[in-house]
Amino acid sequence: MDLGIFIFQTLIKILLVLLIFSALAGFTTYIERKVLAFMQRRLGPMYVGPFGLLQILADGIKLFTKEDIIPTNAIKPIFKVAPVILPVSAFVAFTGVPILPDIQIGDTTFQFLIVDSDVGVLFVLGVMAVGMFSPLLAGIASSNKWSLLGGARTAIQLLSFEVVTGLSILAPLMLVGSLNLIDINNYQIEHGWLIWQQPIAFVLFLIAGYAETNRTPFDLLEHEAEVVSGYATEYSGMRWGLFFIGEYVNMYIVSFLVVLIFLGGFGEGTLLDGLCYLAKVLFFIFLFLWTRAAWPHVRPDQLMWLTWKVLMPLAVINIVVTGLLVI
Amino acid sequence: MNKEVIKGSQNYIPVEIEDYPTTGWQKFKQVVRRSLGKELFVGLWVVLREMLKFNIHTVQYPEEVLPLPSRYRAVHKLLRLLESGNERCIGCGLCEKICIADCIRMETKEENGRKVVSEYSINLGRCIFCGYCAEVCPELAIVHGSRYENASEQRAHFVLKDDMLTPIDFLKEQKEFDGFGAVSPNADKLIKKTPLAY
Amino acid sequence: MAEVRVTIDGKECIAQEGETLLNIARANGIYIPAICYLNRCSPTLACRLCLVEADGKQVYACNAKAKDGMNVVTTTENIAKERRAIMEVYDVNHPLECGICDQSGECELQNYTLLENVTEQHYAIRDTYKPVKNWGHIQYDPALCIVCEKCVTVCKDMIGDTALKTVPRGGDPLDKSYKEVMPKDAYAMWNKLNKSLIGTTTGETLDCTSCGECTAVCPVGALVGTDFKWSSNAWELQKIPSTCAHCSVGCQIYYEVKHISIENNDKKIYRVTNEPHFATLCGAGRYGYDFENRGAKKEPKSLEKAVQALKSAKTIVFNSQITNEEALILQKLKEKLGLKLVNPEAYQYKEFLSVYSKISGKSLYSGDLNTVRKSNFVISVGSALKTDSPNSRYAFNNAIKMNKGAGIYFHPVKDPIIDGLSKNVIQINHQPYEEIEALKWILIQFGKDIPETISAKLDISQFQEKYLGEDFQTKLEKLLKKKDKFSLIVGADLYGAKNWQDIAEVVGLIDLYTDFSVVIIPSDTNTLGVIQICELDRSGEAPRVGYNEKGDFTFSALGDGDFDIPALNQQEGTFVNIDKRVVPLNVALPYGGYTLNDVANEILDNPKQWTIDYTSELFKKVDFDSLPNEFLNSGEENRGYILDIDEVEREEPTFHLANNEPPKLGSSVIYLANPVLQFNRFTNKAHQLSESGGLYISPEYSEKFGIKEGQLVRIATKYGSLKTKAIVDNKIVGEICYLPTFDKHLNARKLFDSYRFIQAKISKV
Repeated sequence: MDLGIFIFQTLIKILLVLLIFSALAGFTTYIERKVLAFMQRRLGPMYVGPFGLLQILADGIKLFTKEDIIPTNAIKPIFKVAPVILPVSAFVAFTGVPILPDIQIGDTTFQFLIVDSDVGVLFVLGVMAVGMFSPLLAGIASSNKWSLLGGARTAIQLLSFEVVTGLSILAPLMLVGSLNLIDINNYQIEHGWLIWQQPIAFVLFLIAGYAETNRTPFDLLEHEAEVVSGYATEYSGMRWGLFFIGEYVNMYIVSFLVVLIFLGGFGEGTLLDGLCYLAKVLFFIFLFLWTRAAWPHVRPDQLMWLTWKVLMPLAVINIVVTGLLVI
Repeated sequence: MNKEVIKGSQNYIPVEIEDYPTTGWQKFKQVVRRSLGKELFVGLWVVLREMLKFNIHTVQYPEEVLPLPSRYRAVHKLLRLLESGNERCIGCGLCEKICIADCIRMETKEENGRKVVSEYSINLGRCIFCGYCAEVCPELAIVHGSRYENASEQRAHFVLKDDMLTPIDFLKEQKEFDGFGAVSPNADKLIKKTPLAY
Repeated sequence: MAEVRVTIDGKECIAQEGETLLNIARANGIYIPAICYLNRCSPTLACRLCLVEADGKQVYACNAKAKDGMNVVTTTENIAKERRAIMEVYDVNHPLECGICDQSGECELQNYTLLENVTEQHYAIRDTYKPVKNWGHIQYDPALCIVCEKCVTVCKDMIGDTALKTVPRGGDPLDKSYKEVMPKDAYAMWNKLNKSLIGTTTGETLDCTSCGECTAVCPVGALVGTDFKWSSNAWELQKIPSTCAHCSVGCQIYYEVKHISIENNDKKIYRVTNEPHFATLCGAGRYGYDFENRGAKKEPKSLEKAVQALKSAKTIVFNSQITNEEALILQKLKEKLGLKLVNPEAYQYKEFLSVYSKISGKSLYSGDLNTVRKSNFVISVGSALKTDSPNSRYAFNNAIKMNKGAGIYFHPVKDPIIDGLSKNVIQINHQPYEEIEALKWILIQFGKDIPETISAKLDISQFQEKYLGEDFQTKLEKLLKKKDKFSLIVGADLYGAKNWQDIAEVVGLIDLYTDFSVVIIPSDTNTLGVIQICELDRSGEAPRVGYNEKGDFTFSALGDGDFDIPALNQQEGTFVNIDKRVVPLNVALPYGGYTLNDVANEILDNPKQWTIDYTSELFKKVDFDSLPNEFLNSGEENRGYILDIDEVEREEPTFHLANNEPPKLGSSVIYLANPVLQFNRFTNKAHQLSESGGLYISPEYSEKFGIKEGQLVRIATKYGSLKTKAIVDNKIVGEICYLPTFDKHLNARKLFDSYRFIQAKISKV
């Protein structure tokens, strides 16, 4: 392929991913508010635009125009940089995620995947994990005890669940024998969805995904009743907004990964498959919101207990059993 | 645990509260029961069901307004007599005296052989809407109205006599007041009759 | 008087014989209800609530005299029934307008109705139409009136105007059937109540000296001050006990203050009240309260100017409307700066009193108004009692009314009010300068063991011939029957007379050789204090600093001078009043400017934070804050402290002017005096008493010389002349007119020398 075209194509794709998912992150906040409202017999945002559709715009304007307050005692460079890490890591991770199957137009194959790497899963999970530094640094740099507590919780929660994520996904990968996401997708065309072979791995990965994206019931980093707003306490304006763009993009990544690894992905890549693929992803996004409406969050000690004493042993047992079966 | 049966006329339902788990095994069983048992999924089902029913309780406030009970205690009104349109307030000063927030003040003077209230004010910044003034008013002159929208550019708004008094043009809209401060419906029966010589 | 022991409700009480049961009970803290009784006045017997059982017989406690060994029960079953029925009767047809009634909250009808727990009504009668009557300073609402007749009683027994009386009510008679069902006393009381109302003795309008005491005693809201009516509820007002600042009697008053309006939080005096059972006010005290110096501010420049003015002055001119503390500061300024203190009025009084002291051997005069009240023969010489010192007149009247007393009033200006006091008062209108003759007559008539050397000089044959004819002698004999306590009141006419020394000597001799106790009325508010604190000078040279008087630099509490000082209702301090009592004055209204103390602190060596820090340097070492200002239940006056009368070395009278013929004034004479309700520029500043002065003439004078009300007249004496309007005053009789001092636009003093009478030419302009 011509290098120029390749670079051009890649830049276009990066731009598309950036724009679409930034907008989607915003839109998801709207969806989230609506869904939560409906589940609580409310209407949610209604005043800005028809059915409150322009609420995101209003929020965006608000976030952009709000005063950017930096506490006197904060470590300013870190404080300023910290919120950028999370969305950057999230978007970079997205480069490894096939958003849609390849499209054949004439004789050119248009690939939606930006980085088609043989270590796709590792790349995505690894880059995503870098996002952890964002709340951690923000919490430490804020010079606020709530922020510091939020930062500390980040460290324990994300580090712990990184283990579960890795271990839980190991068993299916052993079955597939490849780290390439396309390969995993293709494996399932032949062997059926991996969820049937690896139900435990699926549940573990999903739980770990909730923890990594800091969603209910594991939203300990910024739980209002305990630590005000956690690491984000001192943030305002768009810096605060960046944390949330990152969080919502991460939600999408987790959803894509779950669908790709366990639920057959986009299968053969037909149009129908593509639509099913997106529907499955959106279901998992909905699940994020659904659980938020239904479940309370857990205590940090319960969370640690759950990780190390329940989930991790389960994952290890799952690997051992899978390994024995594979042999 | 204290599982007393609560006696009384109302139908209380005693809630079964289990003892807290003490050993690790008990805790594990509790987690399994709670996560793999119904509890988690019942939660999910309940919220989903409500979403699907779409039984929305939101009142879209400026467009829709909930009806207020007549005894609601919001910004005060000074009423007029229904027939003559005269001010009901006689300037007895009981509201001024009883006000525990000390926010009522009045000025009275003589005019054509009657005591008239030339100025009356309630400092709403201090008023705690306890309703004592309406309760004590012997003439049903100062009452609590239903106007609770009191955002304003000026602190002094709503607090002077002209703001509270029913405008004479709107006398027809003033109804027999049955709200906070009105006499009880059986008041007539509670009064001892005084003999009259004519 | 013998002591008696009475047991009331099991409590043994010791009292004077002749004391009423009600007063004994009150003095001993035993409660007997009573609406119509008024201390120091005769019992009205209208309300019958004070019904008690004494030795098994029902009597009225206000009327029954205590006998030794009496056993009194204040409540029996029957009495309780009577009281309850009486309160029900009082509530018959009483308008249910407590909401707007000014008395609400301090209404005795409310209190007793609640006390007797009147929750229902058994009696009824058809009501009559009774419109409200406006009597000038006072309004009467007959619908609210319960005809307790306190107003009638106080007007007669205390004030002496007798301007009120009961008048027929009209309307239906009582239903006879009530006689059987009602308790006896309640029915009798209702029967009486149903026949009367209060009216004036002079037809539709009220003609009196406007003291307003009837509004003070009224237990309900029937009689109220016109100005106060419906301006504030009683309970919103803050009562500040103080002392009236207008005359030397120094009555205890309460300034009642509240914020001016909704927006304006500054304080304002709404009315002045008193304790009518123990102290009586005149109209000036009651209505002349808002003379405060409002709006004064602290400007360091003006303070500097005042300090400079004092430092460069040679004289301070002041008057006696000043507190003891301020007077002491002036005295200290005098000592420090070598100034002269000039206060002509106090100077005269001081000289007069010192001559009196030398003769009588007492540093201060022997009597006070309480001894006057307790006496039964009172003589007044040299004072227009009604206007100079209304409370002395009340005491004069009270003594005559309550003690079956009698009195003689010597004064050149005939006073119809004095004539109206009683049949037992003789008024003798002698010529000016004949006051000494009257005093000599007293000395001769009542003197005992007068040395020959003195009695030889007491020739009053001319005076006796002229005024004290045979009629007088026979009448006097009658009046003097059963009289044992004598009082003499002498007034301001005497202090400035040319023969004041002789007069003072005679007054001293009267004190020495007769049974009379003497009251020498201090000529101004605090004259008695000023003369004891300040070393006064007869005159002083310019530059003068005026303290409430005109000077080259004027300190003024009226707000019209070069430097503002607080008025007497804006400062703390003390007065010495006519009873030789040091009484405290309180702050009714805030004052924003500098006081004399602030100025003095810049000059004196020992600055004091407050003016009242000087109080303990006065007569006794007592702090201002420990001076009481109240009356006890027994009627005892617990106000400040009383000055002791010291013994002074006696001297023999000289009578050095005795042989000189008293100067004769011709027919046209004017007198320096104020009309009713006025004392000085401060009373005139009060909004209810604001008027402009003029030449006050009697109605006869007006008729005889054809001078009508409001007509401009020119008055000329040897000292000058002025033009003013004539004002007809029906409270004087005869041809002597008077000029007032209260109006600052009318400088009447310049027409007079030190004596208050002067020959004048009055002509129409």
